Amino acid sequence: MGDIDKIHLLGMVFSLFVLTSVGLLVRGRLLKEKYALVWLLIGAFILVMSVFDNLMDWFSALIGVDYAPSALFAILIACAYLLLLNVSVAISDLKRHNKALTQELGLTRLRLEELEKKVNRLER
Amino acid sequence: MGNERTLIVVPAFNEQHNILRVIADIRKDIPGADILVINDCSGDNTAERARAAGAQVVDLPYNLGIGGAVQTGFKYACAHQYDYVVQIDGDGQHIPAEVRKLRLAMERTGSDMVIGSRFLNVHSFKTTCCRRLGIRFFYWLFLVLLHIRVTDSTSGFRLYNKKCIGVLARHYPSDYPEPDAIVLLKKQGLNISETGVEMRARQHGESSITAWKSPYYMLKVSLSILFSCSRTRC
Repeated sequence: MGDIDKIHLLGMVFSLFVLTSVGLLVRGRLLKEKYALVWLLIGAFILVMSVFDNLMDWFSALIGVDYAPSALFAILIACAYLLLLNVSVAISDLKRHNKALTQELGLTRLRLEELEKKVNRLER
Repeated sequence: MGNERTLIVVPAFNEQHNILRVIADIRKDIPGADILVINDCSGDNTAERARAAGAQVVDLPYNLGIGGAVQTGFKYACAHQYDYVVQIDGDGQHIPAEVRKLRLAMERTGSDMVIGSRFLNVHSFKTTCCRRLGIRFFYWLFLVLLHIRVTDSTSGFRLYNKKCIGVLARHYPSDYPEPDAIVLLKKQGLNISETGVEMRARQHGESSITAWKSPYYMLKVSLSILFSCSRTRC
């Protein structure tokens, strides 16, 4: 049982590390609350799973998986997918905003050039 | 078209060999229209030559791609309240004198957008078998999904009226925008028609759709069309 205890301890340490890192990042405004939420959920999930080790056995029996760790893998991979989707949405959003800003910058630059020309003409 | 104002939008990316002639032709054949070149972060002298030829030039700070470049033109047209926008590509494929045909078609049909088609009545344009196949596919897709006949959905040679300008300034597809823009406008209840025009084979440079990119192009555009069709709001 010594090994199992070690891995549970490791899981707890890791999840606490994730949770505090997310907390610190949000506090330091390096991570938006919107994106922090999904990370907090995953951290909390790992923590709960490490503390209550029979929860996973109960859950895998519930969904009809014989080998509990594979149920855990399935859940974690699903989480990773959702997280990546989240990131893709965020990138698409950034691209959209970036495009709008770029266009606006180009148009504004043209306007500035025209104004400069006009001013130069008037001053002469 | 009387006192109505027309803006010619010329998207250009590394077209220093073509841009002078394109602008000279536009000035000769469409006098009275304003010319806006969208320099999509070219690495050559496209912008300088366009300015020297007497066009207004928007310099984009990084390469947005054809969709983002053309939309910049629509935004400009919207802000300056132009009545019509014509897209003429900077590579010299589109012949400015043919804009007359687009105008006549718009007057005749009363539609909001007129596409200059290479395949309607005119048979001067040689294109690859692959591209022909793709265009046929889109023809059927449009017929099934939107119940309109478009023989050349990938043509960028188009005349838009004020209603289209408003819609497209807000939303314009980014990557391969031409077929997708048709769906967008149709979804807004605008009318689209086509007229046959002549086009030149390009003189310098290469088409953006190379052989190995074309399956991706087909897939991407088909998907965009399907998504655009399923969108309820613009």
